[in-house]
Parts: sequence; C-alpha cells; structure tokens
Amino acid sequence: MKDIVLENIHKSYGTNQVVEDLNLTVAEGERLILLGPSGCGKSTTLRMIAGLEEITSGKLYMGDQLVNQVASGKRNVSMVFQNYALFPHMTVEDNITYGLKVHKYPKSEIEKRLRDAFEMLELTELGKRKPKDLSGGQRQRVALARAIVKRSDFLLLDEPLSNLDAQLRQHARKELVKIHKKYNQTFVYVTHDQIEAMTVGDRIALMYEGNLKMVDSPKNVYHMPANVFTAKFIGSPSCNIVSVEHDANYLFFGTQKLILPESWINQIRDSYTEQLYFGIRPEHVCLHTTPTAGALTATVKYTEDYGNRMGIYFDIDGCEMVGICEDNAPYPGQTVYFLPDFDKIHLFDRGTSDSIGYPVNITRSNLNEPAYQYKFA
Amino acid sequence: MNPEKDRQLGWHVLLLIIVLLSLAPILFAVSNSFKTLGDAYNTVLSIIPRNPTLENYLHVFTRLDFLKITLNTFIIASSVTLFKTTTSILAAYAFVSFQFKGKSILYFILISTIFIPFSVTMIPNYLTVSSFGLRDNLVGVILPQLADATGIFLIRQSMRTIPKSILEVAGMENSSSFKTLRDVVVPLIKPAIISTSIIFFINSWNEYVWPVLVLKSKSMFTLPLALQMYISSEGGTEFTIAMAVSVLTMLVPLTLYLVFQKYIISTFTASGIKG
Repeated sequence: MKDIVLENIHKSYGTNQVVEDLNLTVAEGERLILLGPSGCGKSTTLRMIAGLEEITSGKLYMGDQLVNQVASGKRNVSMVFQNYALFPHMTVEDNITYGLKVHKYPKSEIEKRLRDAFEMLELTELGKRKPKDLSGGQRQRVALARAIVKRSDFLLLDEPLSNLDAQLRQHARKELVKIHKKYNQTFVYVTHDQIEAMTVGDRIALMYEGNLKMVDSPKNVYHMPANVFTAKFIGSPSCNIVSVEHDANYLFFGTQKLILPESWINQIRDSYTEQLYFGIRPEHVCLHTTPTAGALTATVKYTEDYGNRMGIYFDIDGCEMVGICEDNAPYPGQTVYFLPDFDKIHLFDRGTSDSIGYPVNITRSNLNEPAYQYKFA
Repeated sequence: MNPEKDRQLGWHVLLLIIVLLSLAPILFAVSNSFKTLGDAYNTVLSIIPRNPTLENYLHVFTRLDFLKITLNTFIIASSVTLFKTTTSILAAYAFVSFQFKGKSILYFILISTIFIPFSVTMIPNYLTVSSFGLRDNLVGVILPQLADATGIFLIRQSMRTIPKSILEVAGMENSSSFKTLRDVVVPLIKPAIISTSIIFFINSWNEYVWPVLVLKSKSMFTLPLALQMYISSEGGTEFTIAMAVSVLTMLVPLTLYLVFQKYIISTFTASGIKG
C-alpha cells in the first residue's frame, strides 16, 4: 500500500501550536489537496510528511511503515517546492538527474528517464541551460521533472504554481493531472488557491488554524460545506452567512419569516437547534423584482460591476447578503423579493458553526446545472 | 554649473587624494629600489630615479637565498590557507546545516575568539610549539594557524544565503551531508571561498611577529624576516636593498588581489563588513 496515514499528529514550535490533532488518510494513488489560508498549518503538514519537520507527537505511516523517525531521503518521496529549489550551478539535465545519480542508477536508465521527462514536460531544448536562463514556467517544469524522474511512491507539492501567471497556471494544472495519471503516485498538494484545489484534487482537506475543517470531494466541499468556515472559504464572492432564528416552520430574518419546506423542518428538528446561521452562495441567490409568494422583501443597497456580471448587495431587515446576476441588475434603493432555492441553502448551528446536515432528498452534487441562477420576472 | 556635478567632482578629488596617500609608500618603495644608496639619500622623495639601477635586485638574488626564502613563505602561506579554508568550510557547514545542542553557545564562543588579541595567545602558543620541539621549523609556524574563527564566520554568512529548500532537496535525494557539501554547497559559495582563501594567504604571506618568534636560522626565514635583515635598528644602512625586497614581497599579494578583487569585495560587502 502506498497510502499515507496521519494519526493524532501535533506540531508545535515552543508554545506555538501549528497543527493540532490531525487525523487524515491519503489513499494510494489519490490526489489530496491541503487547502487553507496562510498560516493554517498546511505547509507544515506537508513538510512533516516529507520528513523536513519533526513531528511533535502522533504517528505518521507511509505505505504501512511508521516513518516518524525515518529520514527524509529514505521515505521514497519527491517534492516540488514553491521556489522550485533548483541547484543554480547545475544545468537543467544535472538538476533533474541529481537524485538518480546519488542513487547510482545505471546510465542507460538515467538517460531513459531524462528523455521521458523531457518529452512529457517539453524541456528537450533546455537541457544544457542553467536555471537563471529559464523563465518561471520553465523552472517550474524542471522542478516537476526532477520530482517525477525518481518515480517515487509519493509526490508532494508545496504551492508549485503560485509563482506562475494565471495563463501558465491553467496549463500547469492540466499538466499535473496528466502526470498523475501516468505515474499514479500518491499526491499531496498544498495550495491556498481554491480553483487549483477544485481542478486538481480528488479530495480537498481544508485546514484552518492547525485544524482540519473538512475533507471531501471538491463537489461536496462546495455544495455541502460542513461548517461556516468551509462555506465562506470556498467560492468567490464568499458565501452569504446571516444569523436567523428558527421557530416551528419558519426562519426569521429580522422580523420577516421564510416558510421552510418539510425536509428542512425535519432536519432542524433532528439537530435540536434554534439559533442558526443561514447560508447561500451569491451565485445561487434568486431575486425577483415583483412580489412573489413566500418571498422576503429586500432593499438593494448598492451594486458592483464585475464586467460580465453584477454583484447586488441587498438587505433583509438588517441581514445583508450579496447576489450575482448577469444583466438587468436592480438599482440601489429598489425593492426586490428574495426566495431561495431550498436545494441550495445551508444551515449551521450558531453555537458550533457546524452544519446541521442536509436533507437526504436534496441532490447537490450536480455541477452540470448552470452555475448562476437568477430569475427576474 | 550643475550643483550635482560639483558635488561629484568634490568627491572625486577627495577619493583621488586618498588613493594617492595610500599609494605613496608603494611608489616610494618602488622608486627607491631602483636607486643607488647614494642617490637615494640625496633624492629620497623623488619618484623618478636619476640613475636607475638594478643593483639592489641583483644583490637580493645573488647574496641572499631568495628562492629558498620565497619557498618558505609560500609553503607556510599555502598550508595555512589550505587548512584554514578547509576547517572553516567544515565548521561553517556544521553550524548552518546540523541541529545540535549548544549550537549557538558554541558559535558564540568561537566567534568571540576573533576578539582575543594575538599578543595574548602568542606566549602560550610559543610554549606549546617549543614543547613539541618545533622551534625553527616551518611546521611550528603553521601549527597554531590551522583553524580560524573569522573564516568560519565569513563562510557561514555566505552559506546562510543558500535557500534552505536547496539543501532540503539534496537531503530528500538521500545525498549524504558530505556529498551535499561537495556537490551543492561548495560550488554555490565558490566566490566566498576564493576570497576568504586569498585573504588568509595574503595575511600569512605578510606575517611577521609569529614567524620571527619561531624561526631562528636564515635558511628558515620568510620574506618579511628577510626584509628585517636590511632594516637595522639604527635606521637602515642598506635601505635601497630593503626596498627591493619589499617590492618583491608585495608582488604576490598584489597580483592575487588584482586577479580576484571581484570576489574579495563581494564577500566583504555580502557579510556586512567593510573591507
């Protein structure tokens, strides 16, 4: 088995706790993304797996072997660093084959792997150059080539694309997935970029302040966030979260009440919570310009023009939210009517900030539907 | 006139004066080494000799075992350089890349030895070297100079500029510490190593007090000691010969400095020390 198992992993520097009681399994051949804001402990976690940081307490297994005390060079890992960490005094070829030479691979094997990597990453022309004569994108590919020629069981990537411009990044994302499909290594990938996480990952492990907030597929992380942090961190603009009160069949937005469907009423009842956060993504907000049965009355505060779409900031009795629409945006001061699609809403316990769960009859993992839904009657 | 240009001109004049002041003794030595003793006493400050002569240089090469003396100097300077540089690289690498208990205390103690004046260690070193029976022996001159805290400091500073991730990559490839040092670290800090070695070499080449304590017989003399033979306590009877020896002594360090000045200056500016 080439899986990675983290059991009750703690990491602290002096009194500063960086990773707290982390339990996580990365399956063999999986692409797991460690996602989170700066300082959340994701890079530290990756470095512990790489063997570059000591583990304060807990157990780390890689391929069934306890590796806490195993040196980095003996863990069968390769890593791509954010700054690429190419040896400046060596040519591209020497950089890529350095590890193979240390491991004393036969010359013919080194040649073969070098050619493979060159072809795969379109580096053939650059073999004799030094890193300083390469562009950022080329350097990134050399770093990747160096990591893949080792054919190690585990490939660790620490924000490998963060120094590239947007266009190159898109290309590199596809390349990474292609490489993974070819070599099928167990991938652990650190990023703070949610688009990268969504497009590269089989699963996303979202971290915040040293804690794991949610581990699930990109679709589930987006559609069924397990807590307020996940809901707000994933998606842009960020998910609307407003405080609401629950009573019987209603949710109270200030003094206005929204009638809940049966499925949500049962869900709330099972969670024994009265004080809730109501969440809905801006792209799922539907605003009507004419009074609609069951809708809440809102006032448009201001609008933002994003070029291809508009952000509408509106207020329901003190609850401020933002919605997105493509055209015919209402003007500031206009009265609009808000009736959410109950398949798209999220409810969280205000005490714990955790989701109260989702009714079973709701299908959320359907990304084929249009991303933005706005209705203007 | 442009005030910016005026200021620049002012600076240049000032720099020119400083350069001339520093060059004056060298010019003095070179010009007097080509004068006869009689000429030199009459026109000691004139730059161009009235009757240029090679007499002094002939004296040096015929009456003095100049080659042997140069060889002695070279053996001492190159051994000291080789050892100091090697020990500096190894020690600096240990301080940069290994984690061990008491590292910062050890480093602090080591660096504080830079501030111990030579006159304090001179007598203990002399007694040690004597007890080893190494008086009047080149090895006796070399022995107390095998390691040097300044070198460790300079090389450590330059090793610290290597991104940590580069060393981590080497470690992940299971490259041994020694291999990483040889294949990655040393090539990356080559300029610092070259300049540190040259400074060691020049210092050792010019060294006077320690060799004069250890070396007694003329066949063991180094260039600075040979120079001393011509400068008597009364003020110097053969001072033009002394000037010729001075010029010859200067040649090697000056050439080294001129060839490698790029590295030397960059190392001192990088370490935050003014040269």
